[in-house]
Amino acid sequence: MTSIPLEYYLIVAAALFLVGTVGFLLRRNLLVLLMSIELMLNSVNLTLVAYNRVHTESHAGQIFTFFVIAIAAAEAAVGLAIVLAFFRVRKTVRSDEADLLRN
Amino acid sequence: MEALKSQFPAANFSLLAVVLLLPLLGAFVNGIFGKRLGKQGVRLMALSAIGGSFLASLLTFLMLPRGEAAEEGGHLAWNAWHWFTITGKMQQAIPIDVSFAIDGLNATMMLVVTGVGFLIHLYSSEYMWKDEGYHRFFAYLNLFCFSMLVLIMADNLALLFVGWEGVGMCSYLLIGFWFGETKNASAGRKAFIVNRIGDFGLLVAMSMLVYYLGTLRFSSIDLAATNLSVPVKIWPIGNLSADTLPSFVAAVILPKEPVMVYASTLVGLALFLGCAGKSAQLPLYIWLPDAMAGPTPVSALIHAATMVTAGVYLVARMGAVFILSPAAMATVAVVGAATALFAASIGLFQHDLKKVLAYSTVSQLGFMFIGVGMGAFASGFFHVFTHAFFKACLFLGAGSVIHAMHVRIHDTDKSQDMRNMGGLRKYLPITHATFLISCLSIAGVPPLAGFWSKDEILWKAFSNEIAAPRTVNGLVPWAWPTWLGVAIYWVGIVAATMTAFYMFRAYFLTFHGDFKGWTIVRGWTDPHAGHGHDDHHDAPHDDVKGDGPEPHESPLAMTIPLMVLAAFALLAGFLNAELIHVAPLGHLLEGVFKADEVAVHERAAAHGKEMMMLVPGILAFVAGIGAAAYVYLQNKGAQETAFAKSFPRLYKLIYDKWRIDELYEATVIGMVDALADIFQMADTWIVDGILAKLSAAIVGAAGTVLRAFQTGKVQAYSASMVIGLAGVGWFLVRPHAVTSIDDTKLKQTGEVVVSAAPGFGYSYNWAGPGLAPTSDFSATREITIPLQPGDKKDVVLQVKNAFNGVDTQTITVARPGKKAAAPTPGANPMDDLAPGGKVVIPGDKIPDLLRGLHQ
Repeated sequence: MTSIPLEYYLIVAAALFLVGTVGFLLRRNLLVLLMSIELMLNSVNLTLVAYNRVHTESHAGQIFTFFVIAIAAAEAAVGLAIVLAFFRVRKTVRSDEADLLRN
Repeated sequence: MEALKSQFPAANFSLLAVVLLLPLLGAFVNGIFGKRLGKQGVRLMALSAIGGSFLASLLTFLMLPRGEAAEEGGHLAWNAWHWFTITGKMQQAIPIDVSFAIDGLNATMMLVVTGVGFLIHLYSSEYMWKDEGYHRFFAYLNLFCFSMLVLIMADNLALLFVGWEGVGMCSYLLIGFWFGETKNASAGRKAFIVNRIGDFGLLVAMSMLVYYLGTLRFSSIDLAATNLSVPVKIWPIGNLSADTLPSFVAAVILPKEPVMVYASTLVGLALFLGCAGKSAQLPLYIWLPDAMAGPTPVSALIHAATMVTAGVYLVARMGAVFILSPAAMATVAVVGAATALFAASIGLFQHDLKKVLAYSTVSQLGFMFIGVGMGAFASGFFHVFTHAFFKACLFLGAGSVIHAMHVRIHDTDKSQDMRNMGGLRKYLPITHATFLISCLSIAGVPPLAGFWSKDEILWKAFSNEIAAPRTVNGLVPWAWPTWLGVAIYWVGIVAATMTAFYMFRAYFLTFHGDFKGWTIVRGWTDPHAGHGHDDHHDAPHDDVKGDGPEPHESPLAMTIPLMVLAAFALLAGFLNAELIHVAPLGHLLEGVFKADEVAVHERAAAHGKEMMMLVPGILAFVAGIGAAAYVYLQNKGAQETAFAKSFPRLYKLIYDKWRIDELYEATVIGMVDALADIFQMADTWIVDGILAKLSAAIVGAAGTVLRAFQTGKVQAYSASMVIGLAGVGWFLVRPHAVTSIDDTKLKQTGEVVVSAAPGFGYSYNWAGPGLAPTSDFSATREITIPLQPGDKKDVVLQVKNAFNGVDTQTITVARPGKKAAAPTPGANPMDDLAPGGKVVIPGDKIPDLLRGLHQ
């Protein structure tokens, strides 16, 4: 069975993570920020399962991935709720408008 | 009596609990429930508490061992409980117990405290009737009696100190009883602080006794006191010596021979500092005249009859220590004489009746210290005893006069001013008679009580001589010069003359002549009716010398104590009239002071002159009373006015009490004030300026800088997180050669262990002397390097991690010490001969030897 080498997975994951990071740093739309976070989390998931393919004696990488997915779901729920609440107050979802607590 | 004796055996005499606890109960009930009990209840509680205590004291007195048993130191003892244990110099355990021991000395004292105490309670129950703090007053008064009883009944110094502090506290509370006026409150504070200075001396003495004798019990101190005859170096102290000091300082402050004194002198002087504070001797007497700010019964009980004599009691108690040190005895006697003279001189021109009595008390306390200082402990204590009666009577008489004056004059100072009195003998017959008896007694008119005790003291001052203790370790004890006793005798005579003069000056000004307080109108009623005599609002009509009613005699509850005390002032002298050989009190005290008086002898030159030396004493009171009668009875004080006119500054100086308070103000208090100023500056500049303001400025500046980062933009925060994470990542990617050196085994084996810190995917390469050179990296994290003394080795560590990065570090390990001896240059290598003279050439040794030559 021919298999894809580990480096390929890592390169894809690094690219995904970079996209997520840059998106998170440069975009101002809160919804896009949440999506960028998902992107970063999933790149980490990809790394974890890729390494699990190499270290087949344990399934810690795969199990950990499920945890990350669960946390990401919770985070998305809370994050979206915050975004919704924020939108009701300010009629916008731009992150630099979230300055109610600034002096 | 037999039944009582079996109930209360001498070794477990628990009747003392009754004596002690009744006043404490009274203080508790009156203090906590007094307000709800009402004045009648408070009076009943206070009087029955102290009265019951008096009856129990009387029983105790009657049950004292008599005759031979008393002379062998028989006493009543009661151990309440074990208090605590301290460790002595020899690591021995020294138990400190709450225990009491009663002998003739403190049984008499108990009778005085509870007996005079009861009379004064009775008097106060009327005198203070209109005061709002009635229950508070009696709670304090009962608490005072309790503390005073603890003081005199204690069988060790630690427990005595508890009572000592207790009476000091009650004195403070009662002086400042009317604390609404700043003057009274500050008088209380002054008394407390000055007493604390004395207490310091008492604490030092206690520590020294524990150190040298290993006990605080009076009976053990008596037995072991000779252990105090050891020389102690007092200067230079610590490790001050020519080696530790700069030479010019050493030349000034270091004596040729170290200054040595006997431990007994140090203990005696420290004890006397405590006594001088409590008993108002020079230079710590200043609190007592101010203490007159308290209610008059308080002055009578605490500041005349009982508490202030605690110092005399303590010197008498610790007689065994004092007789070992003629220097300490002389200090006590000289300070006593100086105080007697000095205070009497101030008393001459005071206008305030209570102030005259206060200075008279200080002066009489001086007489008592002359007595105990001259080794006449029984005589000194006898004066305590008689003084309690006549001085309490005088103060209560003064209180009765003030009570009468308060009908019209409500201001405290004015109602006590003798210039407002005069001619009161018509209106206050009982007060007048008792006051006169007490004046005669204090002036020393035979056969009243004061005569017997005062002349006994003066005679003992004239005749006694303190034998010097034996010389220990070549330190010759200070010897008592013969003229000193005679000088003290004459100072005492002068002071006694002054006493007679100022007491009769006060008597004539108060009870004779014309009444000067107000114009007496029969049947006059106060338009401002309803004033209590002790409330302190200055009604405007006080200043007007207008009309007023006749001054009235005090009610029976106040005159009965006066009469009883006057009877004692008249007759108590016969309890110890040595001249006519009637001395029951003296016999009672013989057993107590027998051991102390072995060092006290009658001077040969004084023998048989007893009657002759009475003459100056008698002349003293004749002159004093005569002069007072001439000036104040016949001439209405004309001479005093003339004296004040011709020597205005001297008169003012004496009137201002020789300005001793001002002297303290300028020196001690000035120094403390200056110190406070320095502290205040330190507070302003260092604490507030540097600590508070500077640190606030630093935090503020840091805040200004950090505030710039608080943009509120999520992207800015996340960017800094990304940068930080990148830094952490870079750190993890680089290898780090970090080592630690363990040299705990160096001394035993001469080896040190060098270990490198672990890390992710690390492998190590070690290079250095004694290690095989290699370019391979291995998992060896730790190497052991042997070292000879004086060796120094460099070890190079290279660390490679999973990314093939390499870090290098050089570690130098060294062992202190001298190098192993190499052969000295020029030495012949052939010197190394084997036994028998055959030359051995140690082949492998030669290169080393040659190397030694070339070094």
